[in-house]
Amino acid sequence: MIDLIIDIIAFFCIYAIITLSLNFQQGYTGIFNLGLYFPIIVGAIITAYLPGRLAMIIYGIDSKLDFSANNAVVVSILRSKLSSDPIMSIMLLVLTMAIVALTCYVLGFLSAYPALKLPADYLALFMLCASESLRVIGMQTDWLAGGVMGITIVNPFWWLGGFSYYGMPVFTILATLFIILLYQRMCDSPLGRLLKSIRENELTAESVGKDVNKIKRTTLAFSFTMLGLAGVLHAFMMGAVVVGGYTRVDFSFWPWLMMIIGGTGNNIGVFLGTFGLVLMRRIMIVGKHYFWFLPFNVVWFEPILLAIMLMVTLIFRPEGILPEKSPRIKDYMRKVLKLES
Amino acid sequence: MVSQTLSVGQNPSLKENKPILIVDNVSKRFGSFYALQNIFLTVPEKSIVLLIGPNGSGKTTLINCISGVYKPDGGKILFNEKDITKMQIHDIVRIGLVRSFQVPAPFKKLTVAENLLVCGQNNPGENFLRSLNRRRWRVFERELVERMFKVLRTVGLEDKADTLAGELSGGQLKLLELGRLLMMNPKMMLLDEPIGGVNPVLANKILSHIIDIRNEFGASFMIVEHRLDIVMKYVDYVYVLSKGNLIASGSPTEIVEKKELYDVYLA
Amino acid sequence: MIPLPILLTALVYSFILSLLAMGFTLQYITLSVPNLAYATIAFASTYLTLTFSLMGLTPYVTMPFAFILGGAISFMLYKFVSFLRDRGTSIVGLMMATIVFDLIIYAGMNIYADYLATVFKIYAGSFSLSEFDFKIFSFPAVLFVSGITSISLVVFFTLMLVKTKFGVAMRAVMENYNLASVHGINTERILSTAWFFVGGLAGLSGSLYPIWFAMDPWVGARMFISIFAACVVGGLRSIYGSLLGGFIIAFSEVVVTYLFSIYFPWVWAYRSVTSMVIAAIALVEMPSGIAGLIQKFRGGR
Ligand SMILES: Nc1ncnc2c1ncn2[C@@H]1O[C@H](COP(=O)(O)OP(=O)(O)O)[C@@H](O)[C@H]1O
Ligand SMILES: [Mg+2]
Repeated sequence: MIDLIIDIIAFFCIYAIITLSLNFQQGYTGIFNLGLYFPIIVGAIITAYLPGRLAMIIYGIDSKLDFSANNAVVVSILRSKLSSDPIMSIMLLVLTMAIVALTCYVLGFLSAYPALKLPADYLALFMLCASESLRVIGMQTDWLAGGVMGITIVNPFWWLGGFSYYGMPVFTILATLFIILLYQRMCDSPLGRLLKSIRENELTAESVGKDVNKIKRTTLAFSFTMLGLAGVLHAFMMGAVVVGGYTRVDFSFWPWLMMIIGGTGNNIGVFLGTFGLVLMRRIMIVGKHYFWFLPFNVVWFEPILLAIMLMVTLIFRPEGILPEKSPRIKDYMRKVLKLES
Repeated sequence: MVSQTLSVGQNPSLKENKPILIVDNVSKRFGSFYALQNIFLTVPEKSIVLLIGPNGSGKTTLINCISGVYKPDGGKILFNEKDITKMQIHDIVRIGLVRSFQVPAPFKKLTVAENLLVCGQNNPGENFLRSLNRRRWRVFERELVERMFKVLRTVGLEDKADTLAGELSGGQLKLLELGRLLMMNPKMMLLDEPIGGVNPVLANKILSHIIDIRNEFGASFMIVEHRLDIVMKYVDYVYVLSKGNLIASGSPTEIVEKKELYDVYLA
Repeated sequence: MIPLPILLTALVYSFILSLLAMGFTLQYITLSVPNLAYATIAFASTYLTLTFSLMGLTPYVTMPFAFILGGAISFMLYKFVSFLRDRGTSIVGLMMATIVFDLIIYAGMNIYADYLATVFKIYAGSFSLSEFDFKIFSFPAVLFVSGITSISLVVFFTLMLVKTKFGVAMRAVMENYNLASVHGINTERILSTAWFFVGGLAGLSGSLYPIWFAMDPWVGARMFISIFAACVVGGLRSIYGSLLGGFIIAFSEVVVTYLFSIYFPWVWAYRSVTSMVIAAIALVEMPSGIAGLIQKFRGGR
């Protein structure tokens, strides 16, 4: 039971990062991006490639062994080494996160150059297709992340012994809390207002002196960074990377539904929407055998359910459960500016 | 050369002021249609210049060219002796030249207060990193809020602070347009029909406030407006556009006396 | 220099792809909503082809059924999207609506594959039907069928646009939706017919795909990249541009990648990435695509 709860919370955390990043792009800045999973895959691929090889070099493991080709052997060697080396384990984790963050920041910045030239709808398609291409690359390239079969990676918390499989979920929860705090701070500040103004009317935003393209680029770069970190956390938590598993349904369409149901442009709504749907999905997966009455594999029931919920939301409550709400100026002055009027 | 033709009506001393805005031989085409043809005009510092002309004569196009929304096909635009012809919209704003829109273009899902607050320049809280630390922007933001309330009172929207801009009436939107510019403390404002749809009492109030701003802060104005009965007594100089050409200019009294201009207007 | 099978593959592929790209562009122009379910709609009919082949029929029997299936789904999608649009749903919401259909069809295909697997005791997750094809002059029949289908459909479509009343009305709707409805053209009927037609066309070309290529439920997602690339290269809003774009992308995916793979064998696996790279370059270097280039060339003279 406790395992299930931790599992649900950890998954919720990964998805919370994803949907908050999506909301930052779409709900706040109005950047229509269907390719959320591009940086997630980048994060996962780097996590699959880097820490294992780095550890091999550090521990001077037989250079005839290859992390990818001799995956099982290498991982078991690394496990014995890392189990007694907490400092190195944590360093690998932190280093991977730092490199992914940097890479994704740069990628986000670069992707803005073709992307921001496009009308909104084609931007969405461009991002979707770019992500799908990256997925194909990941699946076709065995040395990168194990190709179609995937690859087992190190666990930075082996040194916890009997608790080693709780380490990553707990770390994920802490990291997510930090990221949520970042987003919340940004969105409640004048920056959040600025981003919304760009969403509402780019020309007017330019006409009040805002460099719209630069701000959009930074928005993309920042949310790319957070999504990349979600990819790292997810990969380490799963203990393995199968790039083919990062599908547009699981890592773009579901987050979109979570955001829309919760309330686009409202972080708290998005948060609730994410929680509700993650809970539902995990329960469905864990409780597969309760779906015996379906005449087909329950995994195909998921996309249909997603589609139906999306449809119902679009028709009956397009603004979500908790619609976007602007703060009243008196509240803003009292709570944020600490002014008594 | 161009400034020699200036004769400023209501405030003769302005005539000697050096021009803050120079539109030098500017043309703009859409396809093969010339919306503006070889326009020369200047706005002396601290003056209020009126631009009139029938519908479709190119007034809005001229404002779009000056503010950087369109790039002119020929000619040069100087602001404060700086060539702004090829500058980006937001860079032009940052050196103090701002514009309003004929068709109000508010941030619809933001409140009136937010619409104004977002106009603050160099707000540290709008920086991605600094926004995280409230202490770094709280003081700035407090001052901004104070100024916003002042602007709200000026344009008569003080009871609308928490209303979404998308829910305002046409006249109120015009006021919001003006309020946005006032928030930016600019050196010069281009106002595209600022009192369209505003009742005469408030319109007069706004125009006298524009005079106050000019007198207090030394800002300059170029105003496009149809309601000559209201606006004429506030302006220093008038330019008349027709079919993309500048056909007349002079002090308000001179322009009013030119009978032939009425034909242009009625056409 | 280029072996015949590679050339033939490129040909069949370009017939199918250019037809798909044209349909996608047409739907986009008529409703200004990119249809994300488009590729999935096109490939839904492949499971019909599989079923007929398993029943011992020639795969070409599928064609009329595929047309109706694709057309019907596309018609329903149009109704749903236009219903939402009339209620003022944003472009984001409308694209989400097409995703709804994408998901349902995708799940439906997989469920049907599971069903086939139990009935015919085969693995229907991935298949190719080239063995069910017959030969004409020692060439596979699908080469001729896809070529003739593609060319005749384009000719038919052009004639319809130019010669028929419906075509004229449709051009009016494409030029300016609001103006057309003001002038008393029944835009609703024109557009729903157009979407049925285009969906049918997609289903038709999709049904031919597994007769040459390997098929799996993910083909839709992968092919979507190529369709998008073809439209970008063709010039986002140009019907005939996308037709050309389809040929260019198909040939670069197959032939160019093949040429590279002579020296770098690993390149071959990344065919669908090639088109994405081309699309990205095209977006930066010539955002208005081939259509834009042609226009520039004409204007320059
Ligand atoms: N973006 C544009 N594309 C094509 N024609 C335009 C565009 N903007 C303005 N025009 C044309 O330029 C002329 C001048 O328009 P405008 O400057 O709006 O006139 P005014 O503001 O004086 O009423 C009009 O004939 C208008 O149709
Ligand atoms: Mg105008």
